[in-house]
Amino acid sequence: MSIVQDTIAAIATAPGRGGVGIIRVSGSQALAIARGLGGLEPTPRHAHYRDFSTGSGEVIDQGLLLFFPGPHSFTGEDVLELQGHGGPVVLDMLLQHCLELGARQARPGEFSERAFLNDKLDLAQAEAIADLIEASSEQAARNALRSLQGAFSRRVHELTESLIQLRIYVEAAIDFPEEEIDFLTDGHVLDMLDRVRDNLSTVLHEAGQGALLRNGMTVVIAGRPNAGKSSLLNALAGRETAIVTDIAGTTRDILREHIHIDGMPLHVVDTAGLRTTTDQIEQIGVERALQAIDEADRILLVVDSTAPEAIDPLALWPEFLAQRPNPERVTLIRNKADLSSESIALQSDPDGQVTINLSARSGQGLDLLRTHLKTCMGYEQTTESGFSARRRHLDALRQAASHLQHGYNQLIHSGAGELLAEDLRQAQQALGEITGTVTSDDLLGRIFSSFCIGK
Amino acid sequence: MDFPSRFDVIVIGGGHAGTEAALAAARMGVRTLLLTHNVETLGQMSCNPAIGGIGKSHLVKEIDALGGAMAMATDQGGIQFRVLNSRKGPAVRATRAQADRLLYKAAIREMLENQPNLWIFQQACDDLIVEQDQVRGVVTQMGLQFHADSVVLTTGTFLDGLIHIGLRNHAGGRAGDPPAIALSRRLRELPLRVGRLKTGTPPRIDGRSVDFSLMTEQPGDAPTPVMSFLGSREQHPRQVSCWITHTNARTHEIIAANLDRSPMYSGVIEGVGPRYCPSIEDKIHRFADKDSHQVFLEPEGLTTHELYPNGISTSLPFDVQLDIVRSIRGMENAHIVRPGYAIEYDFFDPRDLKYSLETKVIEGLFFAGQINGTTGYEEAGAQGLLAGANAALRAKGQQAWCPRRDEAYIGVLVDDLITLGTQEPYRMFTSRAEYRLILREDNADLRLTEKGRELGLVDDRCWAAFEAKREGIERELQRLKSTWVHPHTPQGDAIGERFGSPLNREYNLLNLLARPEIDYATLIELSGAGTPDRQIAEQVEIQTKYAGYIDRQQEEIRRLRASEDTRLPENLDYSSIPGLSREIQHKLGQARPQTLGQASRIPGVTPAAISLLLIHLKKRSASGKLEQSA
Repeated sequence: MSIVQDTIAAIATAPGRGGVGIIRVSGSQALAIARGLGGLEPTPRHAHYRDFSTGSGEVIDQGLLLFFPGPHSFTGEDVLELQGHGGPVVLDMLLQHCLELGARQARPGEFSERAFLNDKLDLAQAEAIADLIEASSEQAARNALRSLQGAFSRRVHELTESLIQLRIYVEAAIDFPEEEIDFLTDGHVLDMLDRVRDNLSTVLHEAGQGALLRNGMTVVIAGRPNAGKSSLLNALAGRETAIVTDIAGTTRDILREHIHIDGMPLHVVDTAGLRTTTDQIEQIGVERALQAIDEADRILLVVDSTAPEAIDPLALWPEFLAQRPNPERVTLIRNKADLSSESIALQSDPDGQVTINLSARSGQGLDLLRTHLKTCMGYEQTTESGFSARRRHLDALRQAASHLQHGYNQLIHSGAGELLAEDLRQAQQALGEITGTVTSDDLLGRIFSSFCIGK
Repeated sequence: MDFPSRFDVIVIGGGHAGTEAALAAARMGVRTLLLTHNVETLGQMSCNPAIGGIGKSHLVKEIDALGGAMAMATDQGGIQFRVLNSRKGPAVRATRAQADRLLYKAAIREMLENQPNLWIFQQACDDLIVEQDQVRGVVTQMGLQFHADSVVLTTGTFLDGLIHIGLRNHAGGRAGDPPAIALSRRLRELPLRVGRLKTGTPPRIDGRSVDFSLMTEQPGDAPTPVMSFLGSREQHPRQVSCWITHTNARTHEIIAANLDRSPMYSGVIEGVGPRYCPSIEDKIHRFADKDSHQVFLEPEGLTTHELYPNGISTSLPFDVQLDIVRSIRGMENAHIVRPGYAIEYDFFDPRDLKYSLETKVIEGLFFAGQINGTTGYEEAGAQGLLAGANAALRAKGQQAWCPRRDEAYIGVLVDDLITLGTQEPYRMFTSRAEYRLILREDNADLRLTEKGRELGLVDDRCWAAFEAKREGIERELQRLKSTWVHPHTPQGDAIGERFGSPLNREYNLLNLLARPEIDYATLIELSGAGTPDRQIAEQVEIQTKYAGYIDRQQEEIRRLRASEDTRLPENLDYSSIPGLSREIQHKLGQARPQTLGQASRIPGVTPAAISLLLIHLKKRSASGKLEQSA
């Protein structure tokens, strides 16, 4: 049984900052991708040391390029291996480039699946692959869901909904020309299309995950004076960056530190303790702190677990949270667990609010915080990481955007509603990766409930 | 008694599905019997007197490309022709014709009576002869037995038909015809899932009592379009207009005040009606804010005054029907010739069918048309042709022909039905076809005629015409590709003027035609010489203009093709496949898909589930091989 397959790509090495990271590509486009990225005609089964570069000549990484023509390869198809430097950001950029050159991101277990289907693995191994697919597709679904929580998810769903609305109008105009609803010519569709395109570019911008990974996530440490914010910065940085004293209000300006967790760049910002003060310098510090908080990707709200306020610090600071638009950006850090004897733990309540008990001074619980920060960046130690779930989403959004652009051109330049409809279908298919598919019957159902159709 | 001679294929029913089925089987050279309860109603249009329309004309042209009757009968009986969506692109253009009921019926009757290998017999069918899950023949009302190993059932709305007018109802297959009750009982004994559907018609109006001066005239297109690839304007009878009027606030008041007398709203009707062809009471109930609805008055024929007021289908009592009609502008004094009614009937869950339209449980038993939950002459005719052809193939001991979704609307229709089933009468729309840009009405012959010829459905005359057209297209494409226009020549300058900037290099005519600024007619005007054949010019133009999109769809088809071609064993035990969730196991078990592609279109079946199925299949075939070699 030989199945014609599209080309798949994935990061093959375990996530983390290793010495070498490998991207594997399998399928008919593998050779074209080798040419595109490596700029050479690869010799089969030969290690080429190359610059991996984009079409515009920008070098992403350097490393070894190996091409294994099918059927003598791991999957039985043409296989390309790119061995570059192990940083997740570089690998992600490399992967993205493979996707741009015609591959799609592999589903979990898909390389093994192909190997099996092409008689490269024996029957005994098939069971293991089935288990892998089952387990990791569930994992992938969970990760996709997780990475879809919050504002991003709402935006994507709104976007999908507005695309469906648009398609209802376009399809209705095509399938029911005698119903006095020709939206294609009355400008209605163009308005809606403009809106969908605007929304999509906003979502893409907001998602900004690519930028986040490339440029690093900004984490602001905030809290009451003397909660141990500077200790936390020092603990994360692994060196004395901030002056730490027992005197509340020691940090009067913001301090920035650039650190890496397993190769993921983080900008950590320590801020002045938030309190009403008459000290002019400290006042400016508080203002700057608030500004930094507003610009943060993630806020670590530090409280002193030995202090009386620690019983319900979120309730204690409603004015702080009320002013911040995205409470899901906040992680609550209950510091000084060594003094309050609270157990070191990470708890997540049903709203997604995460609380971590730790001690910045003793270092207990810091690993929990590091893992949590990685999760926030969409980076997990699982087969199908949230990292790749997000890559999938971004890729889907970009594809949708390009179809919308194409459809827009068709409508504007040729007034071709049926071609716009085709591009919208493709855009929806791309978004279906994130939100699930919409069938033509769903669409017809929406048409019939929106318009009075039928003679 | 036994009828003295055997048949290869028996078709029960003489509507649009039955006639296409019988004609197709007979064209393929097998002995075919068409059994109808009334020879006079062969080819009868039970609903509105129109053929074609969006999505539907695509089916008509496919039937035509496969040598079927519907398009040719339409050209002989059509009294008004229009192209819908003419200002949109060719993929969604659709021809629609009003037909004279009598002329249409006569054309069908003539084709049936002159078809070699086809016998017609008038008697209602009461029973099927089934031996060990294999159909062997049928028994008529008077006990006559006909024997054949393939039977096509096209029972329309006749199976246990129940006609409603107001809160009264009576058994009937169609106004004026008896229902098929005995056959319905018999079929309900078979292990097939059965349901009830509903459809309806409006009251018919006497044209002499209508004031057309108060309505908007809708004439046919000029020049008059034709339906069949081999049709011509000369075949058309005299052409007439339709008329448009509207319901108003008064109409809506009458309906709202009488909803309690509607069998639909009082719960008398259980069957589900079509969402896209709602009764007027439904429209007013569901879209209360709309204060007016269109009504199309369609002429029933050249030799009758009867009009079909499309848009006011109703099952309200007669006195309300009269009030409704007379509240509408231009019909203040209208006389109703036949009351409107709703009809409920049995249909069988099409998920119990194979792609060939043969039932999964009874070998040799095929279903086509409304019995499968569809509505519309065109949907019925398309299924009839496919079922008839497959019944004939079966009689010849050959493999069934199952067009795919990317080949034909017939493929979309059947795949939708057998994969998803239906909750309402299923009607075709172009939005159901994901490969809409490829499945056009204009290229139905290019997509299907070769296959039809191979099956024996297409006669020599059609085949010769088709081959000439195909060669003509190829020749013209070659000519355009090899004819160059150079800058700074009179031609080049004229074309540059069209584009708004002078040509900067030489172009062949095909490159130029691909540009949005230029159409075929303009190209020929500027470059001289061209084909005089309208159909060839149209093909060349459409293929060129759509090229990028067509390539993309072809690529998509190519990618999915493998899973369409991967067959799933009929006896596959989905509950034994490790890894599949119980929900997906259940869904697959219910649908019993025939191919991997079909499985992937069942809602809720994930790509991971498809991977698991593939691995399971591979394992099965590998262990099968091991057993064989051992």
